Amino acid sequence: MPFDPVAYAIPVFVALIVAELMWSRKTGAGHAYEWRDTGTSLAIGLGSTIAAAATGGLTAAMLVWAHGLLPLSIGWAWWAWPLCFVLDDLAYYAFHRSAHRVRWFWASHVNHHSSQNYNLSTALRQSWTGFIALSFIFRLPLALAGFEPGMILACAGLNLVYQFWIHTETVKRMPRWFEAVMNTPSHHRVHHAVNARYLDRNFAGTFIIWDKLFGTFAPEDDEDRIRYGIVSQLGSFNLLHVVFHEWLGIVRDVWRAPWRHKLSYIWRAPGWSHDDSRETSEMIRARWEASRGKRHR
Amino acid sequence: MDGVWVQFLGSLLAVVLIVLLTWFLGFRTAAKLDSEAEATAQFQLAPGGFEPASLALDRQGASAIARDAQGRIAVLVPHGTHFVVRLLNEGSAITARDGVLQIAGIESLQLDLGESAERWQTPGN
Ligand SMILES: [Zn+2]
Ligand SMILES: [Zn+2]
Repeated sequence: MPFDPVAYAIPVFVALIVAELMWSRKTGAGHAYEWRDTGTSLAIGLGSTIAAAATGGLTAAMLVWAHGLLPLSIGWAWWAWPLCFVLDDLAYYAFHRSAHRVRWFWASHVNHHSSQNYNLSTALRQSWTGFIALSFIFRLPLALAGFEPGMILACAGLNLVYQFWIHTETVKRMPRWFEAVMNTPSHHRVHHAVNARYLDRNFAGTFIIWDKLFGTFAPEDDEDRIRYGIVSQLGSFNLLHVVFHEWLGIVRDVWRAPWRHKLSYIWRAPGWSHDDSRETSEMIRARWEASRGKRHR
Repeated sequence: MDGVWVQFLGSLLAVVLIVLLTWFLGFRTAAKLDSEAEATAQFQLAPGGFEPASLALDRQGASAIARDAQGRIAVLVPHGTHFVVRLLNEGSAITARDGVLQIAGIESLQLDLGESAERWQTPGN
């Protein structure tokens, strides 16, 4: 069993959630939490640890397999750790961006965005179906390049642990230098927003630099109140519905679609439809920009 | 194997305790709309877009109903501390009784509009 930072972090997660609850109550942020929403978030989190235990061995086996393909081996040198962490964070960016752009991947990742609340418990809405959604493929290049599978998994775990604390409204802004380099509550609030201007922005895991480098960065505008969740809000606290609704949606769409469009409902962007009856993020953004232009004229 | 079970049961216990704490701390108040402007902003988030031409707020701010220029009707249904926009199917029956609107298919929703409720009734109801 490789070192798993997430298991060690769970008690800290619990303590921080309790602290945020107390703080929200004290400062009168009465709508920061909702008890059923929190229950759903935590239940999804707990379920995801079971899913991870069930598929973790397979992911590790894939990494070991990729590691053996080329005669490259970096080993456990100390300098390999920071390098592995930064490159793994780049792999996370690629994974996360595709998780929002390909419906098959989105069906798994949508869990994480399903809450209309945004607090530390939201962070624990982690996917159950990541393995089916092929999330591991984004980490294979690191193993191929010679990084130790155990090191890659530990870095991936650390990355996930880092992302916990940014799911909060209690922290407004971090110091300027920190906001410039690191993913922060402010940047990640934008990522969880359904406001048209913020859709498909800030895919970063730990370092926000990837979004700035690849043109997907948007700063938080304090004038525009953030609405959290997904474009078609679920309106449900039902655990199984939240976890599996998009997979069922894919099945339904593929079943109903004409033959030549069936595959498109799997690999195209969420919201794509062959008859333009729905909207992708780009379409929503375009509609918003058009309406804003009208208002300014 | 034992360690895995201890971790799972410990986490399960933590989940139950946190949910209870959330409840006891009072994080169970219903969603509330403070203004028509806020309701409008929420209607505009409807998938495919929805621009209210006329709008009515529930008297307690517990929900809202709106009609757009094409005559489509949408409602804001409370969900926890937030709202979900629901676009009604064309011809959905809306009935008013003692100032309270009832919408076929969304039985959980009661819009208390007072005198203006009648105006939202569908013909024949
Ligand atoms: Zn995401
Ligand atoms: Zn997140």
